[in-house]
Amino acid sequence: MTRTLRNALLGAAFGLALAAGPAGAATIKVGVVAPFSGPFGVVGKSFKEAIEVYQAEHGKTVGNDTVEFIYKDLDQPNPSQSKALSQELIVKEKVSFLAGYFFTPDALAVAPLIDEANIPCVIFNAATSAITEKSPRYVRTSFTLWQNTVPLAEYMAKQGIKKAVSAVSDYGPGIDGEAAFKTTFEKHGGTVVDTIRMPLKSTDFAPFMQRIKDSGAEAVYAFLPAGPATLAFAKAFNDTGLRAAGIKFFGPGDLTQEPDLPALGDAAMGITTTFNYSRAHDSAMNKAFVAKHKEMFGSVDSVTFTSVGAYDGVHVIYQMIKNGGGKIDGAKAVESVKGMSWESPRGSLTIDPDSRHVTQTIYLRTVEKVDGKLENVEKQAFPKQPDYGYKLAK
Amino acid sequence: METMFGIAVDGVAYGMILFIISVGLSVTLGLMRVVNLAHGAFAMVGGYVASYAAQEAGLPYAAALVAAVALTVLATLPLERLLYRRIYGSANELAQVLLTIGLTFVIVAGINYLFGPTLKRIPLPELLTGTVELGPKAIPAHRAFVIAAGAATLLGLWWLLERTDFGIRLRAAVDDPAMAAALGIRTERLYLATFALGTGLAALGGVLGAELLPLEPYYAIRYIVLFLAVVAVGGAGSIFGSAAAALALGIVDTAGKYLIPSFGEFFFYAALILILFRWPHGFFKGRTA
Amino acid sequence: MTSVAERDGKGDGKAGRMTGRTPLAARRDLGWIGIPLVAAVGLAAFWLLPDDLALLTRIAASALFVLSLDLVLGYGGIATLGQAAMFGTGAYAAGIVAVNWNNDPFIMLAAGGLAGGLIALTTGALILHARGLTLLMLTIAVGQIVQEVANKARDWTGGSDGLSGIDPAPVLGMFRFDMYGRTSYLFALAVLVVGLLVARRIVRSPFGLACRGVSEDPLRISAIGGSPKSYLVVLYGVAGVFAGMAGALTAVTSGIVGLDSAGFPWSAEALVMLVLGGTGRLYGAVIGTAAFMGIHHILAASDPFHWMGFIGLFLIGIVLFLPGGIASGVERLGGLLRGPSQNNGEDRA
Repeated sequence: MTRTLRNALLGAAFGLALAAGPAGAATIKVGVVAPFSGPFGVVGKSFKEAIEVYQAEHGKTVGNDTVEFIYKDLDQPNPSQSKALSQELIVKEKVSFLAGYFFTPDALAVAPLIDEANIPCVIFNAATSAITEKSPRYVRTSFTLWQNTVPLAEYMAKQGIKKAVSAVSDYGPGIDGEAAFKTTFEKHGGTVVDTIRMPLKSTDFAPFMQRIKDSGAEAVYAFLPAGPATLAFAKAFNDTGLRAAGIKFFGPGDLTQEPDLPALGDAAMGITTTFNYSRAHDSAMNKAFVAKHKEMFGSVDSVTFTSVGAYDGVHVIYQMIKNGGGKIDGAKAVESVKGMSWESPRGSLTIDPDSRHVTQTIYLRTVEKVDGKLENVEKQAFPKQPDYGYKLAK
Repeated sequence: METMFGIAVDGVAYGMILFIISVGLSVTLGLMRVVNLAHGAFAMVGGYVASYAAQEAGLPYAAALVAAVALTVLATLPLERLLYRRIYGSANELAQVLLTIGLTFVIVAGINYLFGPTLKRIPLPELLTGTVELGPKAIPAHRAFVIAAGAATLLGLWWLLERTDFGIRLRAAVDDPAMAAALGIRTERLYLATFALGTGLAALGGVLGAELLPLEPYYAIRYIVLFLAVVAVGGAGSIFGSAAAALALGIVDTAGKYLIPSFGEFFFYAALILILFRWPHGFFKGRTA
Repeated sequence: MTSVAERDGKGDGKAGRMTGRTPLAARRDLGWIGIPLVAAVGLAAFWLLPDDLALLTRIAASALFVLSLDLVLGYGGIATLGQAAMFGTGAYAAGIVAVNWNNDPFIMLAAGGLAGGLIALTTGALILHARGLTLLMLTIAVGQIVQEVANKARDWTGGSDGLSGIDPAPVLGMFRFDMYGRTSYLFALAVLVVGLLVARRIVRSPFGLACRGVSEDPLRISAIGGSPKSYLVVLYGVAGVFAGMAGALTAVTSGIVGLDSAGFPWSAEALVMLVLGGTGRLYGAVIGTAAFMGIHHILAASDPFHWMGFIGLFLIGIVLFLPGGIASGVERLGGLLRGPSQNNGEDRA
């Protein structure tokens, strides 16, 4: 440790000791488990940046208490490691909140822990509906596949599309999406002519394109994990002439998440998605959020849905601390934010008292060029969408 | 009938891409007996160089391709001197695996540091976008180009290894290094040249295959199983074997995904097991070409 | 020229230099000191690092898995990148048994070991005729298929969401698995130590010596009337029991099983940990696992973005400067201390 660093640390500790003058003041710790390295490292980065933006805007203290975030890296879906890291956060770091969790199994793994330790767990992303059923201490500020897909399927049916095909990656979220799409689309008079489940590790999508073509569908509903698979799928869709043949391409907004747009390039143009957040969302609050982000980190390339998931998650955590007057009782803290409503960069949010998941506006967007940069441009809004999948999907 | 034709065309196109990316691994494994798990990393480096050359330096596609191959070979040659030379030979398999995994990790971390974790692309020239009609079937122009490039690579390698002085000396050195050295063949330089050939092919595959296997730092790890599968089925060191294996696996994979998409993964690996059961040494065991 | 597969079949022992064959091979497990040492260090860690039991538990369970790989690779010379197939099968078997029928931790372990052993025996009989790259590929393929089965059987395994809700009963009806992880750690450590004892027994038995003989010279075993393949299949099955138990142990201590437990990366990571520690020694598996996971934990905490680069350099360094793994370094040190007459520490530990 260099001398300057040590001095700085000593100074900081001393400063803290001074600042912590009033009785009862303490440091409240929040443990964040997310991918900070590995293929999904950009997610952890966006979480961390959003948290820092929130703290820059709202201060690091609530009442007399300082809120401190401790980050743990979990690069891949690995529930047993997720549990070990969370356990360490609780036992060693003595955190009062757990937060983060990008993948569903990693979030599910902590259910017994948060119940035993009586700690609220605010999920910034993991999007399978069933998670919040597993413990009353889960609160989620992201979205679910059902939440995004139901308005999309309704929209597609209203556009006069009669025959559609669903093509999803063969894993939990994909199957959720397929179920939501099929149920809703058929309820509104459409026919799902083929449901294609693509192996998760697929690299070549030409065979699926051939199948979509052969099915005679007018439109395709697709869901794949963001990243290489989505890119290859969108490219194959264009390259094999499906777009030229007039088949329309729809999907949940993970497909066209902002960090991937530059690589998707023109292949992404015209893809219509529904999602809870677009970086290009037109509101004063979002503009301020994006501007602050740019000011602090120099670029807004990483601002995407995971950013608002974390930003609003921190807001909920701050609110829980406020409601408890600095004392954290997990079950009571969760109880105190049920039904809470607020304005976020993505629009207005309410925590549904039953599902403890945010009810929010879902936007219909199309990928377009704005000032030479690809953005998800919002075309239509579907306000107050709940998690349709709560206690429904297996 | 039309379906069969469609599967065949897509399968061949996919297979050729697999061939072009994997054949370099077959060369290093078969001729130099190195299980080079960093092969994917070299391919990725080539792709990144091309992406940088095309997007940042504004080079045309062909120039970016040449730059990628040349720079990747230049950048990896010191590795042969410093690292690979110490682990040649089949007795060192574990050391090879460990060392090349370590090298892969370092390259992944380096690429991640330099270029960030997001996807990168290599913009295609106008000529290679759009589709080409093949009877009732439209295939992407880029794939048609890759098929042609794959065929050219196949013939070029065959000629190089079977018909040139270099090829003859190389095969002699591989079969009996001591004897070759006694005959005045400078095996060290020969190995260096072969290593360069392997990494050059890796870079070529990384660039040409980037449409299918998109560039991101974990490319190096994500697809290595696929490359190994092609080499194992083809028989290490066999150029024609690799081509046959890549085409067979490409067609099997395409057929499986088309006919029973939700069991596509089973289909591929079950076929792999069956093939390796029938031909445990690969289709073309051993011969260099 | 000959193919890689054939060359390896000639039996120059693919583990070759890394294993470092020696006539006194069976004595390289540090004699009788090694296992009590693991137990003592493990118990010391329990007192010294009471806040890190979650990590220590994962290390203990993973060490058992890496130990299973050592049986296969270090003693049978079978190069595999599919050992996680057995680990995952064991973990899922234990989890399914716990969720549906009986959540006693010992029954879960037994179920995991049984399932791991069975899958290893059946697949081993199918694929162990091959050598070298072909075998490597076959083991990978088996692993992928097991993972795909787990993904497909969502009703039983939870698919990609993971099999959650595993709530093991208290050990012997007395010690509950609480969030402080004391029970988990001591349970995992006990299973690991018993596993080491049994493994040592096996590798020193006539069967274990025969397996080592097969890996070094299959022709000779054939000549004296044994079937090399059947030895290897049995060894593979025994190692499968260990791997399955390690999977079950993870299911017991973490309460959830994910698809990652049968994945290729987990197999590859185990191989890295084993070679890092040193093959063919049993305790090398423990050292390698503790070193790798410990380093990962520290680096990931301080600098998650770059830990991969560090661990990569570390691996390269091991190959270049300590080819027998960390354990060989320890042994060499031991040899030096014991006096100049035993100048080659690698052969006598």
